[in-house]
Amino acid sequence: MNKSLSFSAALSAAVSALFVAPVTSVKAEESNAWKLDSAVMYYGETDRVQAVEVIVGGKKEFEDGHFLDLKFTFDTLTGASATGAVAQPNIQSFTRPSGNGRYTVSANETPLDDTFKDTRVQLNAQWTQPLKGEYTLSTGAHLSKEYDYLSLGINAGLAREFNQKNTTVSAGLSLGQDTITPEGGLPIPLYEMPHYINSPNGQPNNTEGSSSDFDASRDRSSDSKQIVDLLFGVTQVINRRFITQFNYSYSNVDGYQTDPFKVVSVVDENGVTLNNIYESRPDKRQKNSVYAQGKYHLSKSVVDVSYRYFWDDWGIKSNSIDAKYWMPMGKGYLEPHIRYYQQDEADFYQPFVTRQPEVDSNVSADYRIGKLTGLTLGLSYGFPLNNGHEISFRAELYRQKVTDPGVNNIGVINQLDIFPDVDAVIFQTNYSF
Amino acid sequence: MKDQKIDKRTFKISQRPNGLAILFNAMASPCEVLIETDDFNETGRIAKLICERTWQIEDKFSRYNPLSIVSKINNSNNKPVAIDPETYRLLQFSHSCFQISGGLFDITSGILRQVWTFDGSDRIPKKSDVNRLLKSIGWQHVKWDESSITLPNNMEIDLGGIGKEYAVDVAVQLLRAETPYSALVNFGGDIAVTNQPKFDPAPQQQLHQNKTINRVKTAHPWHIAIELGDKQTSDLTTIELTTGAIATSGDANRYLVKDGQRYCHILNPKTGWPVAGGPSSVTVAAPTCIEAGIAATIAMLKGNSAKAFLTENQIQHWIY
Repeated sequence: MNKSLSFSAALSAAVSALFVAPVTSVKAEESNAWKLDSAVMYYGETDRVQAVEVIVGGKKEFEDGHFLDLKFTFDTLTGASATGAVAQPNIQSFTRPSGNGRYTVSANETPLDDTFKDTRVQLNAQWTQPLKGEYTLSTGAHLSKEYDYLSLGINAGLAREFNQKNTTVSAGLSLGQDTITPEGGLPIPLYEMPHYINSPNGQPNNTEGSSSDFDASRDRSSDSKQIVDLLFGVTQVINRRFITQFNYSYSNVDGYQTDPFKVVSVVDENGVTLNNIYESRPDKRQKNSVYAQGKYHLSKSVVDVSYRYFWDDWGIKSNSIDAKYWMPMGKGYLEPHIRYYQQDEADFYQPFVTRQPEVDSNVSADYRIGKLTGLTLGLSYGFPLNNGHEISFRAELYRQKVTDPGVNNIGVINQLDIFPDVDAVIFQTNYSF
Repeated sequence: MKDQKIDKRTFKISQRPNGLAILFNAMASPCEVLIETDDFNETGRIAKLICERTWQIEDKFSRYNPLSIVSKINNSNNKPVAIDPETYRLLQFSHSCFQISGGLFDITSGILRQVWTFDGSDRIPKKSDVNRLLKSIGWQHVKWDESSITLPNNMEIDLGGIGKEYAVDVAVQLLRAETPYSALVNFGGDIAVTNQPKFDPAPQQQLHQNKTINRVKTAHPWHIAIELGDKQTSDLTTIELTTGAIATSGDANRYLVKDGQRYCHILNPKTGWPVAGGPSSVTVAAPTCIEAGIAATIAMLKGNSAKAFLTENQIQHWIY
């Protein structure tokens, strides 16, 4: 009975596919010209970081299946970001990471470093071509430069198609090297943040410490890390309507991974900050993730659901579920989007410490590696223009809830919200031509 | 079919008891579209659309037309040939049929016509000639994707096994989009109806008196008389169809007889020989004409287990 039903069902599925208009439009036949994509994105956290990003990408097919992809990204980042220091019921004062000046934080407020300002330029190039048999080779390189950060990388990937192109198995390797050279040098992990600041004329301008305090907290001007990423993937076409993808990725990072701009507060038994020490993270990290995606074409709309599980040897584990629903609307389309993210904190994450950590131990109060959940709600709307170009808009709301990983709040900290929510909005406009 | 002359591409509309009929020729067959209306202008408009589309399908996929995509592919000498989305979908469909039939339905098997001619004679080809051609058969050797197909040297594809049924289904889609009236499409015996007729077409007397279409709203099927079995015995069977399609595989008049063994014109692509012991024709009803056609063809290829195959798959059928 099963066999019989499968014959009729298979035949009727084949017929449905025959009379379904193809997803790829006739436009795909116009090759050999550069296809350009441009996007402007705005990301803004309430009272915190704001970023504007401009992306211009181009893709050109040279001969059958030989593609060159180039992407240029420019972004600026301004605003304040959490330093890791814990809120206090009184005004707090911090030395800027560069040593050039100080900023103060109001009572009961989460300390934010407002000197955050950066401009980044990034270039990506990727070359893809078919090889003998069913193989496809892809190689690429990227370069990204900020004022105090340089990132370089190369990658190569090989894919093979099986089963009349219904199955694609791929493997990829990428190597990267990141170098950080912050203004004022790299602070020594677990060292106390000095009170000393430089005056504009280079003379000591403070009564609490001396220039040797600041110099003593710095041991070198720059450091780097090396990254090796491996990716294995399988894409399986179940039928003409249903496509699935499964990936496993492994990443090994070796080198300096501490955030030189982050500190941890050392508090006494009353919860009062005694001093702030520079954070310290391990110099080795192994990351793993598994990913599954299913894309299903209904008669007119498309459901796209994916799940990712991530774990690393820092103790971070995370789950993310993402769902999109594409539907035609008028001449264009509408796509609602929802994403839920949940993360368990790193082993060495502590919102504050009650005593000076031991030498060579690790500690960080950076909420981004803490216990948190994030929810994104978004909507995209796109439509083709009369000249054949396409324009689309995306708006998203993001709320991140940082939760207490189970520390016993003490003294004055009890009265304070040391885990404030982070809200952000994202607006994006895309133009393809 | 080979000596098909290019028909004059015209259509005519003729009055029938239960509506208007569009008559034209395409794909070496007489084609008829019966629409349950008496609106002559509207039928003329629809006739133009259907004829243009049907002839377009014929021009595009006929292997007799040297300008067709099929001819282009067959003369490509192992070079990739760019294809459009419609061709891709037909190839994808043929591929699905190849898979679900376990290789029995194979659009590369038409090359066997070089040695087999089913003219009622006793001219059976030599085994060695058949075996030589077998090397040029096998859809699994063809490389193709959404944008191109690469056919190995000495191979041919032939969409003749699905082209007419496909054209019927396309005509049905056109009719459903263009007219609310029920219509019956018949391209040389491959038949489909768009929806159930408003009138019962059977009592013609009554129909003549009720010219206003909306008066009788009860559901009635289309009554289709088809010729099953030998023409000599002239066995006319009436099939009732309210929606969906029927298609027939096998032709009682195309066969060879040698040493008392009757060879039907359906060839097994794996052996290169006709299927022995099978029925002379199989008619199948299905939601779409192409579905009916494929089921009928695969049933024929199953030989003496054709009936068991159709029964087991719960496919409505008439076997002779």
